[in-house]
Amino acid sequence: MATALNTLVLSLVPAARRDERLRADLTEDSLHILNSHIGSSRQVDIGHISANIRAKLSAQDSLRFSNLLARLLDQDLLTRKHAVLQFMAALSSSSAQPPPIIPPLMPSISRSSPASPLSRSRRSSMIPPAVPNQPPSTAKSKAQLLKEYRARHGRPQFAEALLLRDALYLLQGISGKVVRFNENKADGELTVVFSEDPRFQLPAPTRALILRLSELGHLYVRVSKWVRDHDGRPGVGMIEQSLCHHLQSQLTEYYRLIAVLESQMSQGGSIDMEDARPIGTKDEETGLTLRRLEVWVDEWRLRMRMMSVCVEGCQDSSGGALVSLIYGYTDNGDPFVRNFTDQLLEEVSKPFFQTLQKWLFAGELHDPYLEFFVAANPELSHLQYTHAHSNINANIGALMGDGGFAGAEDDDRNQSDEARNIGLKLWEGKYQFRTEMLPSFVGESFGKKIFSTGKSLNFIRYSCHDSDWVATRNKLDHTGPGRTLKYSDIPGLVRSIDSAYQIASQRLFDIFFEKFRLLEHLRALKSYLLLGAGDFADQLMLLLITSLSRPANTLYRHNLTATLEAAVRSSNARFDPPDVLRRLDARMMEYSHGEIGWDVFTLEYKVDAPIDTVIDPDSMENYLKIFHHLWKMKRVEGALSALWNRIAAGARSFLGGAGGGGRGGGRRSSVQSEVLDDLQCEWHQIRIVLCEMIHFMRQLQAFSQLEVIECSWKELMDFITKKEGDLDGLIHAHRVYLDRMVKKILLMSPKAGKEEHLLIQLRELFHNILQFRDATESLYNYCLAEAARVDSERDHDRGVFTLPDANPLSTSHKSADLPRILRRVKEYSGLFSERAQAIVHSLQVHQDLDCRFLSIRLNFSDFYRTKKELKAAAEAQGSAKGA
Amino acid sequence: MSSREADRTSSAQQTLDVLHDISQLLNTQLDRETLATCVSMIESGVNPEALATVIKELRRENASYSTARSPE
Repeated sequence: MATALNTLVLSLVPAARRDERLRADLTEDSLHILNSHIGSSRQVDIGHISANIRAKLSAQDSLRFSNLLARLLDQDLLTRKHAVLQFMAALSSSSAQPPPIIPPLMPSISRSSPASPLSRSRRSSMIPPAVPNQPPSTAKSKAQLLKEYRARHGRPQFAEALLLRDALYLLQGISGKVVRFNENKADGELTVVFSEDPRFQLPAPTRALILRLSELGHLYVRVSKWVRDHDGRPGVGMIEQSLCHHLQSQLTEYYRLIAVLESQMSQGGSIDMEDARPIGTKDEETGLTLRRLEVWVDEWRLRMRMMSVCVEGCQDSSGGALVSLIYGYTDNGDPFVRNFTDQLLEEVSKPFFQTLQKWLFAGELHDPYLEFFVAANPELSHLQYTHAHSNINANIGALMGDGGFAGAEDDDRNQSDEARNIGLKLWEGKYQFRTEMLPSFVGESFGKKIFSTGKSLNFIRYSCHDSDWVATRNKLDHTGPGRTLKYSDIPGLVRSIDSAYQIASQRLFDIFFEKFRLLEHLRALKSYLLLGAGDFADQLMLLLITSLSRPANTLYRHNLTATLEAAVRSSNARFDPPDVLRRLDARMMEYSHGEIGWDVFTLEYKVDAPIDTVIDPDSMENYLKIFHHLWKMKRVEGALSALWNRIAAGARSFLGGAGGGGRGGGRRSSVQSEVLDDLQCEWHQIRIVLCEMIHFMRQLQAFSQLEVIECSWKELMDFITKKEGDLDGLIHAHRVYLDRMVKKILLMSPKAGKEEHLLIQLRELFHNILQFRDATESLYNYCLAEAARVDSERDHDRGVFTLPDANPLSTSHKSADLPRILRRVKEYSGLFSERAQAIVHSLQVHQDLDCRFLSIRLNFSDFYRTKKELKAAAEAQGSAKGA
Repeated sequence: MSSREADRTSSAQQTLDVLHDISQLLNTQLDRETLATCVSMIESGVNPEALATVIKELRRENASYSTARSPE
């Protein structure tokens, strides 16, 4: 080794042959260089070197070089061919320049990187004093002059190659030699720190440049950290997973860029160092500088920023919210940003669209990470299978109800109540709409449509029967969502959603009306519970009237159901389908002490799944509420007409000449009791009051049946025949129908706290009428007894023997009763007209127009005017007369 | 034995020829002997770039000597 070096020195520096000291010096120097680390860091392969060499040669020479290289490769003597080539390449590039011009290179030696440990000891002697004497042809630029000045003053700049290497490290988030990342312990923020080396100085522009580059490194660290954290971790949503994937592929691109940059730098850098030449004089075309690096990575900076924003958005939102977050960036004027986000969105929204497709076309929610904007309610998910079971239960309950054991009955009722709750709860609560998870490109109304479609399909599938499901799916398949939904095809998406929505809700409607005969049930409810079938209601009233006036605890359910059956048989209701009649039931509500049958009797209509989705327990309660009210009205009406009947008949026989007929009846009037004659006037009054009551009740009933029930029914039918909207729409329509009836029939006022004010008054009025009826009946009985007594007095004339009055006390007792009875009658009739007047007046100012119309009906002749009004009217009349 | 030795020398000769051609082509200005020395050094494990630096350095020394002496 040493001898070889010696030969080398001798052959290259002939002067050393004579000068022993010089030779030793040079040899030592060379050894020093060889032991240093120049270029030792790089591992290059032969292809790379030969490509480098070829680039420097002309076309002809490179061909020759290729030939020679092939021959060299054939030789197997050398083991380090690449090293030899590298050696020659290094020499060749230097000799490409005209060899003798060495001086211009000198300054850059002294300036060259600290990594090249050129012997500093001899540098001063090596720098020729002739430098300033260079001819003007090689005059230096101002920048070079400045560099030299700096070099002389011992504050050289950093070599750009070094900075470049650091910059490339920075791009990968690694600290370099000169520039380091410094992580703040407290908040984990990365800051860029320049190592302050007093020997070198870093100009401000370069600093700024490096800072700009380091931003990219910082972003890279953040993004890659996030990707590493989320990739393959369990519990990460699918949308985040696909975001991870996309970011990963972007990062791979980024790595590629860095690799390219690095190879460029090594080309430029190697030449740079071996040549010890100022950067930028020769390597303009091939090398890499900080500014070039800046240009290269400029596009990536924007991209990295977008990625970092997405990553940050991921921290506090997931799933659909994340998608809408990204979508927020697509509205950008910059086409680059737009394209990038579009691409990103296309990737990221893939799992979302998969879920959507499943939901929209199969009614199934496949969303393991809760990212979709529809969420299943875990409490209700198990119910879908139990409903068939509970259905049977309810039926059994209905059957057993006839058995009449109160305890068992109650149990059954509880169970069936539970079962009944399910339908609507299942429909409304099984899936929930989460607005915050809805991607903003879908839109709220469309989101609702999607939600409803999937829900309908799910409902058809699980709550109705399988055959329906098969039919629906067939239809859906026909309309061809064979295509996949994706972000770039929004119009197609809209079309698919629309058609799916239509088919699903249409199908659901059909199922409800054809298969489950919803309309029949609604009609049955109207005719039975809302007393629409008058003949049935009359029959029922007739059959029940005696048993209902008894105390509640003497009633038995089996009697009631038997009566109900009789009523059905004797009315047109018997033509209704058996399925409807089977559901009709009569029972008693919970009763407390002292209540009579009227208070506790109720009809009932049982519905089961899936009809109970529309006719839910709440609406059933409303139906029953209306039924109670109407039933009361019916009762009062019946009592009034019975009373009228009796009075009219009695007037003919014994109450005395209500009309001319009685008087013309012969001599009987002459023998009539004075008491009865005295009562003529009272009876007349009673008839007037009775007429008033009958009028009141008739108007009230007509209002309820015609104005309210039939009108609401018509609206409901309009909706149903249109067949628009989904099940939600149907439920809503039914609810509106029912609410309207409740509000108007029960005369609800919108004022808070006073909703039932009128209803209470009305109930009192009904009570009043019944009391009046009782009082009148006792008067009637009294008259009957009196007539009988008078009649028996005449027995003697007829020649009939009768016992003398067996009980004179009772008559005297009765005669004492008379004023009391009359007082009661008067009192009740007075109370009635007062109440009626009050009701009419509050109706006149009622918020609801229909209710106001009722007051007009009741008061069509201005009968119920207030006293004030009457007085005013009288005065007006008087003044008119006076005039 | 001797024929194998002869083979070896001839192949070495060929290799050196090829290398010399390349060296000419690349204008390294190394003569055949120096080249042979350098190649053998590289084969023995010397860093090629360091060696290139040495050559350049020696040439510069030589040139500085000759220019320093010429005015004399």
